[in-house]
Amino acid sequence: MSTSPTTLIAVPDSLDTATPVAPADRRWQPQAAHWAALSIASLLLLWWALTASGLIAPLFLPPPQAVLAKFGELLNGGYMDATLPQHLLASLQRMLLALLAAVVVGIPLGIVIGVFPLARHLLDPVIEFYRPLPPLAYLPLIVIWFGIGEASKVLLIFLAILAPVLIATAHGVASVSQLRQQAALSLGASRWQLLRHVILPGALPEIITGVRIGLGAGWSTLVAAELIAATRGLGFMIQSAAQFLVTDVVVLGIIVIALVAFALELGLRRLQQRLTPWHGQHH
Amino acid sequence: MSLLQVDKLGVTYPGQLQPALHQVSLSLARDELLVALGPSGCGKSTLLGVLAGFIAPSQGRVLFAGQPVTAPGVERAVVFQHDALLPWLNVHDNVAFGLKLQGADALTRERIVADTLRLVGLADVAGKRTWQLSGGMRQRVGIARALASRSQVLLLDEPFGALDAFTREQMQQLLLRVWQQSQRGVFLITHDIEEALFLATELVLMSPGPGRIVQRLRPTFNQRYRAGEDVRAIKSDPEFIALRESLLHSLFRQGHEEAA
Ligand SMILES: Nc1ncnc2c1ncn2[C@@H]1O[C@H](COP(=O)(O)OP(=O)(O)O)[C@@H](O)[C@H]1O
Ligand SMILES: [Mg+2]
Repeated sequence: MSTSPTTLIAVPDSLDTATPVAPADRRWQPQAAHWAALSIASLLLLWWALTASGLIAPLFLPPPQAVLAKFGELLNGGYMDATLPQHLLASLQRMLLALLAAVVVGIPLGIVIGVFPLARHLLDPVIEFYRPLPPLAYLPLIVIWFGIGEASKVLLIFLAILAPVLIATAHGVASVSQLRQQAALSLGASRWQLLRHVILPGALPEIITGVRIGLGAGWSTLVAAELIAATRGLGFMIQSAAQFLVTDVVVLGIIVIALVAFALELGLRRLQQRLTPWHGQHH
Repeated sequence: MSLLQVDKLGVTYPGQLQPALHQVSLSLARDELLVALGPSGCGKSTLLGVLAGFIAPSQGRVLFAGQPVTAPGVERAVVFQHDALLPWLNVHDNVAFGLKLQGADALTRERIVADTLRLVGLADVAGKRTWQLSGGMRQRVGIARALASRSQVLLLDEPFGALDAFTREQMQQLLLRVWQQSQRGVFLITHDIEEALFLATELVLMSPGPGRIVQRLRPTFNQRYRAGEDVRAIKSDPEFIALRESLLHSLFRQGHEEAA
């Protein structure tokens, strides 16, 4: 057929010899992680270029290798009478204690707010009053009321984590599908069973999201918390270094906080994926 | 003997002037498949909500086995259009959910769940999560869950409304099989005329403004299907088509009266 001189378009032939279109996953395609790596690498390169060219003095921005060297130095030698791991440990302890307290208080209270409108009417003004306040604004009050000990530092971080956990839990609980609840009632669920087997699991994805957001808020108050007569902690380390213009320690502290916060966030995301795999599916 | 009895039911939602339901009377026997057909907004879901015990009547009353319905109860299981299933449980556990809540012993539970899964053709996917299933399969889980519970009546609110035409027809046949074998009364809501005619042993046509029953009929196509006639043959039978067109005509006429 294709040999016929009148055939202008040799369709059968071209079909026979057509190479199948390669499935998309055969070819290498950049993933989200590759783009993230590219972004970080560019940032590092820019940092290095800016400092190596002498455009920015080390006092304002130390070169990456200086920060790295400082990292090695602080691992064992320490800054302000504590090594970097000791500072990190002190901060992590405060963070985790505050997180634990916020989860223990915030989730049950959020459930109560989500289930009982009266509780929401009563507590909403309180939460919305303190939530937008900068922690530094009420820090003096906390010091006056609770002193300069460990409790005040943890309390400050706790308050920052509490609001997002509370709000997300209350919202998650209140927005569990009405039909799903009705169906469970007609299968014989008591009010307690409804809460335990339908409402709580249904709100879990949002609760975990609330914890993730809360943890971010917690990190952002760490430095404020460690203004309170601390002798250890990443926030304390950064402030002390800032007073003496030891910029490389400041940058190092920032990077460590960012890395640790990111690692915790990744852990929580993985937990969310494991505990609530249906989240983000359309059912 | 009628299981569910609805007498002159009226429902007015708070703050609404026009009742959502007005003077609705019905009865459903154990061997009946009662279908309420009507356009959206005519009060079908409200009616089902009252039968299920989610909504309190403003007038009239609803009796189940002679007793007034005042709350949800295990004898009246519901199935909704969008599955009210629990995505954190697999298919088996979703179907077992009612029996678990009711405290049935494990042996009885497993036997009933296995039987029910087989009845609706889900035995092979018992271990899957519900969000891994197609829409039709999910509705089967919903029906199985309602069956496995100690229900005596199934209340279905547009159960096949979100499915494609092909799956919907399969599910209609599945429902007839289940209804016949499980010996329950079924109350089904739909806005699909063919579905209503094919399934119903009793059909009520509803109209909005206020929601009420405007016509009652007893189609025989359900019986013909059970007697072995093919579903397509039934739905293309001139008698079926004539009834379908006459119902469609009534619906349109009411639509015009509404507009006028
Ligand atoms: N919770 C409610 N509050 C006020 N009005 C409602 C409520 N639910 C339904 N309605 C109204 O009642 C009428 C009947 O609704 P519905 O029973 O859902 O009808 P259908 O299921 O036939 O579409 C509609 O006009 C609807 O707007
Ligand atoms: Mg409806």
